Amino acid sequence: MVLKLYGFTTSTCTLRVAVVLKEKNVPFEFIPVDLTKGAHKAPEFTAYQPFGQVPYIDDNGLILYESRAICRYIAAKYASQGTPLLPTDPTATALFEQAASTETSNYDPFVSGLAWELKFAMWFGGKTDEARAKLLQSQLSAKLDVYNVILGKQKYLAGNDITLADLFHLPYGSVLLGIGLDEFSSRPNVARWWKDISSRASWEAVKGGI
Amino acid sequence: MVKLYGFSGSTCTRLVALICKEKDIPYELTSVNLTKGEQKNPSFVAIQPFGQVPYIDDDGFILYESRAIARYLIKKYPNQGTPLIPSDPKAEALFEQAASIETFNFTAFVSGIVFEKVFKPRRGLQPNEERVQELLASLKPKLDAYDLILSKQKYLAGDSVTLADLAHLPYGTAFYGPAGFAEVFESRPNLSRWWKDISSRPAWLAVKDGA
Repeated sequence: MVLKLYGFTTSTCTLRVAVVLKEKNVPFEFIPVDLTKGAHKAPEFTAYQPFGQVPYIDDNGLILYESRAICRYIAAKYASQGTPLLPTDPTATALFEQAASTETSNYDPFVSGLAWELKFAMWFGGKTDEARAKLLQSQLSAKLDVYNVILGKQKYLAGNDITLADLFHLPYGSVLLGIGLDEFSSRPNVARWWKDISSRASWEAVKGGI
Repeated sequence: MVKLYGFSGSTCTRLVALICKEKDIPYELTSVNLTKGEQKNPSFVAIQPFGQVPYIDDDGFILYESRAIARYLIKKYPNQGTPLIPSDPKAEALFEQAASIETFNFTAFVSGIVFEKVFKPRRGLQPNEERVQELLASLKPKLDAYDLILSKQKYLAGDSVTLADLAHLPYGTAFYGPAGFAEVFESRPNLSRWWKDISSRPAWLAVKDGA
């Protein structure tokens, strides 16, 4: 049975899973969940994903949610096909985990917060909290200065090979660029890295929506 | 011996200390005084470029980000102490799901609340109560989902404790105690049962008041 991906066509977290499926050449069936109609809060959905969030997968009866967990599962299950995205030796694995954790604590809170304030809040009848957006942008800026140092010494976030940690940055990074917030171009090493990961065929294939 | 560079009271430093206790890994804490801004010194930033604690030096191998350090130590010592990350692929996937839940559906909100209610007052700053209420409003439905999950299984990834459960302890303890929100856990029976279980583990009791 082909893997089923339940998500929203342009949702950041759904696209995070989709880009990894593409990198690993894993066929999948996309089942749209209409967030605009609250389908993610319906009992038929929350029975599988109790937090009422997209995406989740059904891989032959194994239900899994949280996009980064799904990505790790796919990268491990299909280690021998497509692009290697998880290292195997202990030192490289530790440095991958350092990079993956860096994305979750030193990138995601700021980019997702900005994406909410500057784009998504309005979808749900809210408005931009300008002070909060300004704070988040200055915090993001400081973090990306550090990324610029790290990426001046190595090609990707975990070392000289691409890993899941790099790909995890794509969805929110793209949302911000799409609304004109570019904190990448002014930082040469970050710009180089961003250009590399965002021009991969796997991302080109899904970035406009599944 | 693992050299842990951090601050005794820091949440993230205590997570690493907790894992060392669970896994019977001896460690030596070198203090980086956050109240004096030592984590921003150039000599520190040369090693931890984000200027954050903790990092470890394990026989010359430098690693930062507390959850990464925890995973590294757990994988390095699979045969001693408590098993904290499963190796079976399905169980491991459910562990990764639980680990992600902790980061995005718990700590994302709880750390903000703890920052306002506990850390800011320590520096003589006033909490932003509106922000606290916003964060609580987001957190409570998440904890309802926790209560549902924990009605069906003992721990967040299944019936065995994992790193995903333990990662809740540093910020969760500050939320429950000093921030004054014990009732938010206590009013959810399964969550409360799970909280009592993990927060009474000897390894946590050994480090909760200082790494």
